[in-house]
Amino acid sequence: MRFIRAKLPLVPCPLPLLAAAAVLSLPALPAAAQEARAIMAEVQKRAEAQSQHYEGLLQVINAQGKVSDKRWAFDRLGSAGRSKAILRFTAPADVKGVALLILNHPDRASDQWMWTPALQRDRRIALQDRSTRFFGTDFSYEDLEERDVEQYDYSMEGEETIDGAACWKIQSKPRQTKTSQYTSSLVWVRKDNYVYQRIENYIKGEAVRRLVYSKFEQVQGIWTARLLGMNDLRRKSRTLLTIDKLQYNLPLREETFTLQRFWRE
Amino acid sequence: MTPLKGTRDKGQGARVCEGRRWIAALVGGQSWLAAVSVSAQSVSQKGFVELRGTSYADSTANDSTRSTGELLLRQEVAFKPASWLTLAGSVDLRADSRDWSSSDWTPDWQDRGLQRPRVGISRLAATVSRGPVTLDLGKQYVRWGKADVVNPTDRFAPRDFLNVLDTEFLAVTGARAVLGLQSDSIDLVYVPVFTPSRTPLPNQRWAPQLPFDPGRLPPGSQVIDAGRFLAEGGQYGARWNHVGSGFEFSASGYRGFLHTPVIESLATIAIYPPVVAFAQVYPRIWMVGGDAAVPMRAFTLKGEAAFFGSDDNRTDEYWLYVLQLERQAGEWFFVVGYAGEVVTDARQQLAFAPERGLAKAFLGRAGYTIDTNRSLALEGAVRQDGDGSWLRGEYSHAVGQHVRVALEGNWIRGSDGDFFGRYRRNSNLTASLRYSY
Repeated sequence: MRFIRAKLPLVPCPLPLLAAAAVLSLPALPAAAQEARAIMAEVQKRAEAQSQHYEGLLQVINAQGKVSDKRWAFDRLGSAGRSKAILRFTAPADVKGVALLILNHPDRASDQWMWTPALQRDRRIALQDRSTRFFGTDFSYEDLEERDVEQYDYSMEGEETIDGAACWKIQSKPRQTKTSQYTSSLVWVRKDNYVYQRIENYIKGEAVRRLVYSKFEQVQGIWTARLLGMNDLRRKSRTLLTIDKLQYNLPLREETFTLQRFWRE
Repeated sequence: MTPLKGTRDKGQGARVCEGRRWIAALVGGQSWLAAVSVSAQSVSQKGFVELRGTSYADSTANDSTRSTGELLLRQEVAFKPASWLTLAGSVDLRADSRDWSSSDWTPDWQDRGLQRPRVGISRLAATVSRGPVTLDLGKQYVRWGKADVVNPTDRFAPRDFLNVLDTEFLAVTGARAVLGLQSDSIDLVYVPVFTPSRTPLPNQRWAPQLPFDPGRLPPGSQVIDAGRFLAEGGQYGARWNHVGSGFEFSASGYRGFLHTPVIESLATIAIYPPVVAFAQVYPRIWMVGGDAAVPMRAFTLKGEAAFFGSDDNRTDEYWLYVLQLERQAGEWFFVVGYAGEVVTDARQQLAFAPERGLAKAFLGRAGYTIDTNRSLALEGAVRQDGDGSWLRGEYSHAVGQHVRVALEGNWIRGSDGDFFGRYRRNSNLTASLRYSY
């Protein structure tokens, strides 16, 4: 078995023994697939935090270059397939208060509910509706879910330099238990700090969305992209998400992330 | 005939000077609130000013006015002094060209009048959260049910029906306790004071049908509107909601009053020329019902049904149910369904019941998101026997961060005896301009 070559990771932590043990315990998979899975497991492990909060500026840029801004506040509790997240729009004023509750599950697709203050009602976002654009942005509802490593199969597609960063190029395919609009994704993982550099999502061989990560910073020991660009390759529009006021491991209450409470906060 | 029970409506006096002080405080408070929200994370506010103009294609027998103008300023504030406590309030300031708003400038907490309050406290509630328990006390919105357009189980949600096809929910004053676990929740509601739906004004185009045709009464006849008799007593309800893996359902029960009135014909006072009188009453009812949402491969199936029973012989006993399919596809959102009604005991003479007026009809809604700032929506209903139909189209366009312009058209057709048909001369076009902050 080939061990992962971590080239001078910026985080003072080469591949931990735990990840190595995980690789050893994998069923008989081709070495490249094992390596790809181990890399993805390491990505998830390094990003792990008990909770997360940020305020995001969304800039939706249509095909004609017209920009419209939205802002949201994001809270997440838990990680690795069992996290819960709430996303609340804070601007513009006429969408302020619109909220999305996401309950991620390790063995199936997430549950999502949208709260609309004008109606005083929540609405469950059905599984077949997850490919829809989220609130006029280029993110679909599915793109807001957590990508848990256990819900995909991986294969190593080689190595590439993306935006000056050496990356592993890994293909992921959703497992049967994971309902996804995408038939596959190509994921570029930076070798220096095990964070995503780019994710390209495919439907039956056609690239439909590309998520580009940039402006990496270490926040509370976790390497994080502060700028995400989601490109809708069919519509030729893109949405930039600038992450501000980012905090990890802050105390958040479990009860907040329930259907009864998420819209009241 | 069942004797009338309840509290007779009282007129409202105008106290203009006092009201102006409130308005000055409201408008002046806006800049103060903005400053507070910057300095303290625990205070948030939002609001809007909206101008609406509606033009009707035809005049009606009782109303020759063909245009309406409305102004609404709404200010919402939420204050969170502690992690377990949230105080939220909302104030409306209204004006219009059709006497829809009261001339009384005194802030109205109860919102039970025939007219909209000039200055209305549309929400004022404290929310206490402790572990899995949430307690809401005060004036609040309580929404039950999962269907769109018609919600038989939504019993704590009276509406403003001054314009029957363009309604707004009214908050109720009471207490709500929610025990919320991840998959199950129990919702208990107690409302000590009855808030009726606001019915259309009698001398205007949306007025409810009367138990007799005034045009067919003999010359010299006199018609007396005896007013509304608001119900007295508490309303309470419970709802259990279960969220399963890929589905959810709830069961609910309610005891209280119809929030839309039965139009009761009172005893004829004189035989000739006749003097006839009518009144709006709100009979006591109970309701058991449930709703469910089941996402399937191609669409989501939603259903909601309720049985309405009553010991009061002025109202029917009946089932009301809705079945609908929902699908979001790309930029489109579709809902198609059917609302049905089965009357098990027909008793009432006449009622203003828009909810039942939408029954025995096929319902539909479609929305299209053009881009992040623009959207189109179509909504409509067609009576199963073809006797009435209604179609609404709306175009909405956000301009910059604060302004939204909307154009809306309603097209109504039908025969005299049909709920839609009664309003067939009320097809209209509405333009609105909203500034949100």
